[in-house]
Amino acid sequence: MYLEPVRRRRLPGEDRSAGMRLAILATAVLLLFAVLVFRLWFLQILSGDQFAAQADNQRLRTVLIQAPRGVIYDRNGSPLVTNRAGLSVGILPMDLRSPETVIPHLAAVLGIPAEDIRAKLDTAGQDEYRVVTIRQDVPENPVVSYLLEHSLEFPGVRVEKSYLREYPNKILATHILGYVGEASYEDLQKEQFQTLKGGAVIGKDGVEAVHDSMLRGVVGTRTVEVDAAGVPKRVIQENQPTPGSNLVLTIDSGLQAVARAAVVDGIARAHADGFVNSYAGVIVALDPRSGEILAMTSYPDYDPSLWVGGMSTETYQNLIDPAQHNPLFDRATKGLYPAASTFKPFVAATALRSDLIDWTQIFSDPGTFTRDQQVWRDWLLQGHGDVNLVQALAESCDVYFYNLGSRFYDLKGPVLQDGLREFGFGQRTGIDLPGEYPGQVPDSEWKKKNGKTEIDRIWKPGDDINLSIGQGDLLVTPLQLAIALAAIANGGDILVPRVARQITDASGNVTKQIETEVKSHVDIGAEDLDAIRRGLKMVTSDPTGTAYGAFRGFPIAVAGKTGTAQKKPGDDYAWFMGYAPADAPEILVVALIEQGGHGSSIAAPAVRKVLEAYFRTESSGPAQVEVTE
Amino acid sequence: MSRYLGSLDWVLLAATAGLVCFGLAMIYSATHADLTASSPTQYVWAQSLGLMIGVVALVVLSLIDFTWFARLGRYLYWMNIGLLALTLVIGSERMGARRWISLPFFDVQTSEIGKVLLVLALAAFLAEGVELRGSLRFVLKAVIYVAFPATLIFLQPDLGTALVFVAIFVCMVLVWSIRWSHLALLAGAAVAAATLVLRVFPRTFGIELLRPYQLQRLTVFVNPGQDTSDAAYQLSQSKIAVASGMFTGKGFMQGTQTHLNFLPAHHTDFIFSVIAEELGFVGSLVLLLLFAVVLWRAFRIASLSKTLHGTLIAAGAIGVLAFQVFVNVGMTLGIMPVTGLPLPFISFGSNSLMVFLILVGLLQSVHVHSRTALYGGRLKGDPYGQMAA
Repeated sequence: MYLEPVRRRRLPGEDRSAGMRLAILATAVLLLFAVLVFRLWFLQILSGDQFAAQADNQRLRTVLIQAPRGVIYDRNGSPLVTNRAGLSVGILPMDLRSPETVIPHLAAVLGIPAEDIRAKLDTAGQDEYRVVTIRQDVPENPVVSYLLEHSLEFPGVRVEKSYLREYPNKILATHILGYVGEASYEDLQKEQFQTLKGGAVIGKDGVEAVHDSMLRGVVGTRTVEVDAAGVPKRVIQENQPTPGSNLVLTIDSGLQAVARAAVVDGIARAHADGFVNSYAGVIVALDPRSGEILAMTSYPDYDPSLWVGGMSTETYQNLIDPAQHNPLFDRATKGLYPAASTFKPFVAATALRSDLIDWTQIFSDPGTFTRDQQVWRDWLLQGHGDVNLVQALAESCDVYFYNLGSRFYDLKGPVLQDGLREFGFGQRTGIDLPGEYPGQVPDSEWKKKNGKTEIDRIWKPGDDINLSIGQGDLLVTPLQLAIALAAIANGGDILVPRVARQITDASGNVTKQIETEVKSHVDIGAEDLDAIRRGLKMVTSDPTGTAYGAFRGFPIAVAGKTGTAQKKPGDDYAWFMGYAPADAPEILVVALIEQGGHGSSIAAPAVRKVLEAYFRTESSGPAQVEVTE
Repeated sequence: MSRYLGSLDWVLLAATAGLVCFGLAMIYSATHADLTASSPTQYVWAQSLGLMIGVVALVVLSLIDFTWFARLGRYLYWMNIGLLALTLVIGSERMGARRWISLPFFDVQTSEIGKVLLVLALAAFLAEGVELRGSLRFVLKAVIYVAFPATLIFLQPDLGTALVFVAIFVCMVLVWSIRWSHLALLAGAAVAAATLVLRVFPRTFGIELLRPYQLQRLTVFVNPGQDTSDAAYQLSQSKIAVASGMFTGKGFMQGTQTHLNFLPAHHTDFIFSVIAEELGFVGSLVLLLLFAVVLWRAFRIASLSKTLHGTLIAAGAIGVLAFQVFVNVGMTLGIMPVTGLPLPFISFGSNSLMVFLILVGLLQSVHVHSRTALYGGRLKGDPYGQMAA
């Protein structure tokens, strides 16, 4: 019965119902198919592009190929900073799976805290497709081999070849060379780094920073296709990196080493003399004809390879500990000190140029100078007697210059200061190193602004008087002093000092030669200049000269000036500056020993050491020099 | 013999053959580079094995008279129940579900066979009760008739196939001419039940009838953006694969989503994504067209059948086919939740392929025997001799 045909046994009212029901069912099925087709249309035709892009994003990775950084040479072609190949470990956030297990595991293998890794990933920001470097300079055995062997346990972890800086001479010209490091977020906002991406290595200090765009080269890229596990399958495209240009410095590494040793020796002498607070010093040696820096050392310094691979917090804390006396700080361009007697030649020059005096004029020095019931003493208690300009310089007569200061005051205007500024004091020299300080030359305006009390804001005769012997609120850098003296040596040109000599390409061809630059000129009469020079020459050649003892037996004539600066509450600072040969200067050296005591006994011998090395003389100075100034 | 051949529905056979070949080709593309396979053609061979058995079954079924099954309805039903119960007890557990009974040379997925058995059993049941169409009691009996095996399947757990059973039921009672009011009642009850299961039970009584992963699949479907779980990943990769195919696809065997392993289950549940990625909009339409042809022929066979029984069998086949195509393709396109339902004829899985070939065989049988005059056979007991050619 159940097999009876539909036609025969139909329930009332349901005519051909099966047929109608089939039609309804068919319509429903048709609708379902229509939905599918429309959805396909939506996805494939309307939205196809954006999904295709997503598919590409997943499977393509662009890896940066680091370019080797340019090598830095000294003027003779001896390498100061080179590259070595290293391995760095990074994480590609996009491929990182189960971070809760992978990150601690990786931290254990690398020997760094897991929070450091997480912090780095967080600061990397939104870009999931770029590798975040976790640790540079990872040893191949055992770390890298382990990571490669167990790569399945570290999804998203990448080992990449990178170039790391190497310093063949270890600690030499540290502050000049500077160091490199990963660009920070703030760095990347700066104009010169706009083209760089996160993780790029840039120069952070010294010539590495100043000439970074030449040194860094251009990164290459490699686009690879990866599968869902992030495993690279094939290389789609590759652009080779362009190596950075090399940099040739004006520095002579031999002389640089001697200069550093001379500072260390100077500090030792100071300790021997009872000046036990001496820990730091500077030597600047340049060519007064061109402004090329032959040697410049700031002590204490440190080993720049500490920065390679990232400096640990511990090491950094150690370096900035006050007990270390600031090895990171470049005292040559940033150290601010009162010039003391080394200032006298420039005060004299200003006095002559403003027709305040003439060099033959005699002043009497009984040991003190009095004005308005105030008394200023000479360093030599009994005074120097009657002296002219030449003798005043040779013997470093304070009272002579107190007189000048007093006269300058009576001119009622910043005549002295303007003249000093013409020698470059109170401004940056413009050297091609970062962060130079301008120092300060105080005048009445300055005092008005900076004086703490009512009385302090008034410019008094004592201020000009103190300024004339290089004390008071005067602050100069050793580099400024060198440039100013160079003007005396070369006839009045204020040069722009520099450490860079040439840029060369990878094959050694010179692509850029850096020329001498004259910033300005100090007009000084020939006779006046000659008088000053004679005075400076007598400092070392005449028995009355303050550096006579220090330079006894030196075969080449040296023109220079001692200085002993008071900088309370510390001990006196020892200065000496000089150039040689006195009549045709080739080299000019400035030495400062912080809290070293007397310029004549501590700083002058240091300068002599440098000159001996430069001129390759057989003689060496006396072990102990008697104190004059 | 030639009469027999002449009475087969060749269009249906052609479309079926087209789908099967399509499937083999796509399985090859999806698996030839599979690192875990012993050879590039391992999966293709495995599928071919199922194909051969299915083809044999198809031929056999098209030869026999399907009305036979009408008498066997009861036995088929209890055999189904028995197999399903057995699966729950001795079935091998894989990935947290018992769906297979492992025999020495192959595995039997009882829920797949269950589809065929249910179609046949229910067709007999409904045809037998043809006069009780107006009776709610009978309708409820039918509901229980289906609910019993469906529940056994749900307990495996296999929600997807359980829902296929629902689809079979709906299609068949619709064509059986259930009263609209009864159908509405059942629909309402279904909605109420769903609400109970998904909302009321968990929140008020703390009873979770659905497993967490099942719930997750439903929530990801509703809210794809927020989730980073595996279900969401699958869904997103599938959409990327489909959409990146664009108009003409990336080319046969050139799908990056597939070959770089971004798309999981690319030879089974998500094989349509491979088709969409490699053959594009054009290829996808061709595939859907083939399915449409098969369904069209099934509808035609349903209407040509002179007995309700035959029509019901055809309706059941339509239900399985249409439901699975829509759910599987819809899933890959992101408009249906992720289920384990394979794409008929295409997805890798010999059980599924065999079952759909069997269904085609049954359709052929219905087609052949609706022209019994041609065939010349007569069954005892009944006068439908007036089956004129």
